[in-house]
Amino acid sequence: MSAFRFARSALRARPTAFAAPLQRRGYAEAVSDKIKLSLVLPHQTIFKSTGVVQVNIPAASGDMGVLANHVPSIEQLRPGLVEIIEEGGSTKQYFLSGGFAVVQPDSQLSINAVEGYPLEEFSAEAVKAQIAEAQKIAGGSGSEQDIAEAKIELEVLESLQAVLK
Amino acid sequence: MTFAWKSAGLTYNRYLAVASRAVRRSLKEGPRLQAERRGQQELRFAKWENGKQGEVKNLAEANNAAAIAQAESK
Repeated sequence: MSAFRFARSALRARPTAFAAPLQRRGYAEAVSDKIKLSLVLPHQTIFKSTGVVQVNIPAASGDMGVLANHVPSIEQLRPGLVEIIEEGGSTKQYFLSGGFAVVQPDSQLSINAVEGYPLEEFSAEAVKAQIAEAQKIAGGSGSEQDIAEAKIELEVLESLQAVLK
Repeated sequence: MTFAWKSAGLTYNRYLAVASRAVRRSLKEGPRLQAERRGQQELRFAKWENGKQGEVKNLAEANNAAAIAQAESK
């Protein structure tokens, strides 16, 4: 009888002694504070599931910053600047022509766009020349469609001019 | 939210194509020459009726014209 009691106490003692180190797993270790970013164009992959701190995107509903554990959402993008804040505080800036950003539940952000280039690859003179041309068409007496297209170009170019300064 | 281009008969696809074209044209000379080739679309089609080939049309232009006609009839 006494042997049985001893066995029972040993059984009870063992799990607490062995399980204690395993249970010490806090929220900070379990959940990464980085968001996995994929920034892809039809012809190029700029980021492939890379861990970054924050991504600022120009959504159609307004500019927004996306951190880890963001609420899942789908956002249409305006032509505009995407800012990527990497670990260590360095930022990368790309101008995208428009597309979609999808925030997935497991801290993944996928951005799909048609064209995207770092800011230093743009020429301010080319932008200025195109604005003048698009304004002429938008204010002219072309077809409704030509005017609509010129207004789309103006939206892109004015956004580009604002970030190039 | 209705976009201005939508009421003019443009599709979202067309909107993206126009926006991307503007981005490509704004690049510096080097990357621009490489990028502009991507905007070209050469796909053509013809409708066959009674064993005869119809007029050969550019797909992008025909799509555009169809979208505008649809917007006007509404």
